[in-house]
Amino acid sequence: MRDYIIRRILGMIPLILIVMIVSFGIFSLVPNPFAALTENPRIKRADVERLKHAWGFDLPWHLRFFRWFGGVVRGDWGPSLLFPGSTAREVIGRALPITMRVMGLEFLLALIIALPIGILSAVKQYSITDYIVTVISFFGMSMPTFWFGLLMMMFFSVLLKRPSGMPLLPAGGLMTPGLEDAPFFVKFGDRLQYLVMPVAVLAFNSIGGWTRYMRTSMLEVIRQDYIRTARAKGVPERFVINRHALRNALIPIVTLVALSAPIVVGGAAITETIFTIPGMGSLIIQAQIKADYPTAMIALMLSSILVIVFNLVADIVYAWIDPRIKYS
Amino acid sequence: MAENAIDAGKKKNQKTAEDFTYIGMVLHRLTRHKLAMAGAFMLIAIFLFVFVGPLIWRIDPNLQIESLEGLLNPASAAHPLGTDDYGRDVLARMFFGGRISLFIGFVSAITAALVGTLVGLVAGYYGGWADNILMRFTDAMLSIPTFPLLIALASILGKGIWQLIMVIVVFGWMVDARLVRGMVLSLKEQEYVEAARAIGASANRIMWKHLFPNTLAVLIVSTTIGIGGSIIYEASISFLGFGVQAPFASWGNMLQNAQQYIWTAPSLIIYPGLAIFMTVLGFNFFGDGLRDAIDPKLKL
Repeated sequence: MRDYIIRRILGMIPLILIVMIVSFGIFSLVPNPFAALTENPRIKRADVERLKHAWGFDLPWHLRFFRWFGGVVRGDWGPSLLFPGSTAREVIGRALPITMRVMGLEFLLALIIALPIGILSAVKQYSITDYIVTVISFFGMSMPTFWFGLLMMMFFSVLLKRPSGMPLLPAGGLMTPGLEDAPFFVKFGDRLQYLVMPVAVLAFNSIGGWTRYMRTSMLEVIRQDYIRTARAKGVPERFVINRHALRNALIPIVTLVALSAPIVVGGAAITETIFTIPGMGSLIIQAQIKADYPTAMIALMLSSILVIVFNLVADIVYAWIDPRIKYS
Repeated sequence: MAENAIDAGKKKNQKTAEDFTYIGMVLHRLTRHKLAMAGAFMLIAIFLFVFVGPLIWRIDPNLQIESLEGLLNPASAAHPLGTDDYGRDVLARMFFGGRISLFIGFVSAITAALVGTLVGLVAGYYGGWADNILMRFTDAMLSIPTFPLLIALASILGKGIWQLIMVIVVFGWMVDARLVRGMVLSLKEQEYVEAARAIGASANRIMWKHLFPNTLAVLIVSTTIGIGGSIIYEASISFLGFGVQAPFASWGNMLQNAQQYIWTAPSLIIYPGLAIFMTVLGFNFFGDGLRDAIDPKLKL
C-alpha cells in the first residue's frame, strides 16, 4: 500500500507537467495580448514594449514557459490584467471563497438528495417510482444549465413578485448592497436568497447523474449472493438494504464524490456568469476575454492539479475501504 | 409425430434467441425499451422539424424587418414564434439553427469517437511505452477543466463552425480512448487474435479488421450519448459568444442575446432552449436504451 501511494505520487509529476504545458501552450498561442494596448493612441509605443519585456513576451515561448514555471513554483503568479493593480494571487484569493460557498452548498445538497433517491429507485426497480426518478434524472442530465438558469430567473425574478413589488428572488449577484453592516442573521438571510437559484440549477444537474450512478451501484449489489443469504436467514428487508447492501453499494460512490470534489474549487463557468457571481468559473472566462493570461492560467492550473490529486485520493480511499482491492 | 407438430407450431409463434441475428436481437430489445422508444420518437420529431420544416415554412432566417414595429414581436400568424431583436423570424431561425446545432453535434461526436478509437487501439494493442505515453496524455487532458480551454482554443482558432467542431473534438476524445483501450486489452488475449497473428496479419489489419469491429457496439452507444453532450457544448460556447457567429443561427447563439430581453420577450429564451433540451434528452434516452439492449452490464 505504501509503495503504491509513493508510486502514484511520483506518477502525478509528469501528469502535472503535461497539464501545465497544455494550458500554457494554449494561452501562449493567444494572438497578441497587447493588441488592444498598441491600438490605443494614448499609450506610448515604448510603454507597450516595456510591458512586453516585463512579462517576457519578447522571449520565445519555451523560454517564457520556464520563466512562468519558475514564478509559479516560487509563488509569484504575476500581475492581473483584469483587475489592474492586483496580483493574480489576490484576484484568485477573492474569487475562491465565493465559489467554495456556492459549490460546496450545491455539492452537499446534491449528495443528500441524490443518494436516497437512487437507493429507492434501485430497491423498487421497474416500479412507477423508479420510472419517475429515472425520467427526472435524465431531465437533470440533459438540461443545459444556462437554459435552466434563465428559466429559473424568468420564473422567480420576473414572473413572481413580492407584495412590495420586488422580485421574489434576486436575479444575480451575491448580496444586497447597503447590508454590509447589518446584524448577522439579516446578512445571512440576505445572502441565502442569492444562493437559491444558482445552487438549485447546479444541484439539479448533479442530482441527475448521481442518482443514476447510485441506482446502478445498488442494483449490482442487490443481485449478489450474500444479499440472498441475508434474506434467506430472515433478516428484515430494511436491514438487508441499509446494513448489508448499502455499505458495498456506497464504495463506488466514494470514488464519484472524490472525483467530483474539484468542481468545488473550479467553479461552474456558465452558471456563475448567468447569475453574475464573481467566483472562479466566471473569473476564468473573464480573464480569457480580457487576455489576462496570468490569472487564467493559474486558475486553470489550480483546478487541474486538484483533479489529479483527487484522482489519487479516490483510488487510495477506494483501496482503504474495500479490502478486496489489492494494489501491487 | 403429434408432439413434433405441436413443437413446430410453437416455434412458429415463439421466437427463441437462436432465431435472431445479433442486430435483430438488439433491435428486439430496443423496441421493448420504453424510454429508448420515447427518445427515438423525440429525435424523429426534431429531425422532421429541422429538415422538413423549412420546405413548408419558406422564410429567409436572416431577413430583418427594417422597422421598430418588427422587432421582438409576439407570436402572430405572420411569425408563429414571433420575431427576435433584429426582426428576424424566430421559427425560420429555429429550423436553420437546429440544422447547424445537429450538424456540429454529429460531426464532432463522431470525429471525437474516431480519434479516441485510434488512440485506444494503439495504446491497448501495442502496450508498453506507447500505452504509457498515450494514457498519461489522456489522463492529463481529462484533468484539465474542459470549458475554459474550449473557450481559449475557440478564441485562438477563430470563430466558425469548423473551428468549433475542432475545439469540441480536441477535448472530447478521451473517454472513448479509455473505453476502447480497456476493451482491446481483453480482446487481444483471445484466440482469434492470436490466430490472426499466426497467419501473419499485420498490426494494422488486426487493429482495424479484428479488434475495432468488436468495440463498435460500445462505441455506438457512447457516441449516441456523446452527440447530446456535443450539442450542449456547442450551445454553451455559442451562448457565451465564442461559437457560431451571426448571421448563422444556432440554438446556442439564439439564446446569446435573449438574456437581455428576459423582461420583454421571454419566448426568445424558451424555444431554442427547449429544442436543445429535447434533443439532448432524446439522445440520452436512446443511448441509455441502446446500452441496455447491447449489454445491460456495460458501464458507461
